[in-house]
Amino acid sequence: MPAIRLLLNPMRTAKQGVNVNVGKDGDEYKEITTTLSIHPEDLAALGIQDGDSVRVRTEFGEAEFKCQSAKVPEGMAFVPYGPPTCRLMGGGTDGTGMPTSKGWEVDVIPVDSLSPET
Amino acid sequence: MGGKVTCTLGEVKNRADFIVYWGGNPAECHPRHFTKYTLMQKSKFLPRGRKDRTVVMVDIRETKSVKAADIFLQVRPGKDFELMTILRAMVKDQEVSDEQIAETGLTREQLTDLIARMKGARFGVMFFGMGLSMTRGKHMNSAALLTLAAEMNAFTKFVAMPMRGHGNVTGADVIMRWQTGYPFGISFNRGYPRYNPGEFSTVDVLVRGDTDCAFIIGADPGATMPQPAIDHLAKIPTIVLDPHVTHTSRLARVHITTAPAGIAAPGTGYRMDEIPMPLRPALESPYPSDEEVVRRIKEAIAAKPDWMGQQPQMLLSQI
Repeated sequence: MPAIRLLLNPMRTAKQGVNVNVGKDGDEYKEITTTLSIHPEDLAALGIQDGDSVRVRTEFGEAEFKCQSAKVPEGMAFVPYGPPTCRLMGGGTDGTGMPTSKGWEVDVIPVDSLSPET
Repeated sequence: MGGKVTCTLGEVKNRADFIVYWGGNPAECHPRHFTKYTLMQKSKFLPRGRKDRTVVMVDIRETKSVKAADIFLQVRPGKDFELMTILRAMVKDQEVSDEQIAETGLTREQLTDLIARMKGARFGVMFFGMGLSMTRGKHMNSAALLTLAAEMNAFTKFVAMPMRGHGNVTGADVIMRWQTGYPFGISFNRGYPRYNPGEFSTVDVLVRGDTDCAFIIGADPGATMPQPAIDHLAKIPTIVLDPHVTHTSRLARVHITTAPAGIAAPGTGYRMDEIPMPLRPALESPYPSDEEVVRRIKEAIAAKPDWMGQQPQMLLSQI
């Protein structure tokens, strides 16, 4: 099954901001922070549909997200910051104190295509 | 060039007729910014409000904020520094090739129009967000934008301001600045403040495993920092002061519940333009404020025998 490379940009949304205060244990916060917005063409390239799950990998870690087709540039994916994006983030700061929190090149793999041991 | 040419949000509200948001999405992240300061307000100098203002949005995607803008410039990801450097050159009528402009994803016409509008403004302001400061280039991107704003003052009044994050992050920077001379990334381990981002900044200290205890007030690094930093917090004794149960409080050895500042505890919050605002609590809380907890911990430590044999110079003694 196809795996594609996208530029992942974690970001903020108003709903996420509200749920940070409502409580991060809520189902809504979990859903917001695990929903990946991607271009319909990229969704087609992955051979999946709205609502299907993908595994996103960086050189530092991996996390699972649910895909949502959205009006975003092709080749890019967006997801609100949260514990799943923490797992993808490297600890290096290039001497600035600030980890690179946006613009990661990631591998996106449909979960259905993964064998149990991967 | 260093420093920041800036102003208060009150000046923006009353005077700014040209507003640029670069790498920020206020419609989602600062929902009252448009209505309180930048778009909708009428003033003596801008009597028609929105009609007297031009708003430019620079971003890698069409965010919700773009709907409120007059001009949208879709920059190619990772090309902000190049675009700002090109603008700095074009503002001074220096030569820039078509290839260099094409690399940013924009056209010469777009940039020429932008510069004409910038120079024609009476009071320009550039707000910049995490799209600029947290992508590749980081502080160099911010520095390029601050320099562009400073250099624009050869033509007209221009200022820049970061779109600061939630809570009171500006307050933390401001207090550390007047207490130590530095905004963050400070080590006190020699008894006096030393500043070195990348060495003494929180993420780096945690990722390297340099610290054997962590005291966290009003932050949730367990849901925001890179995983190696979170893993280290879980290994060491971590103490958290927070009104809520958070990802960090779960991995901490001690969680002290405190009253939420501004809701059930008084204090001072700093606006993103670094203006201190008094916080008047609307509710009562059975829990102590962060300040009270820190004060009591400090008093308990001060009452202990001086195990170092000499009294180290402590910042806490100034509080």
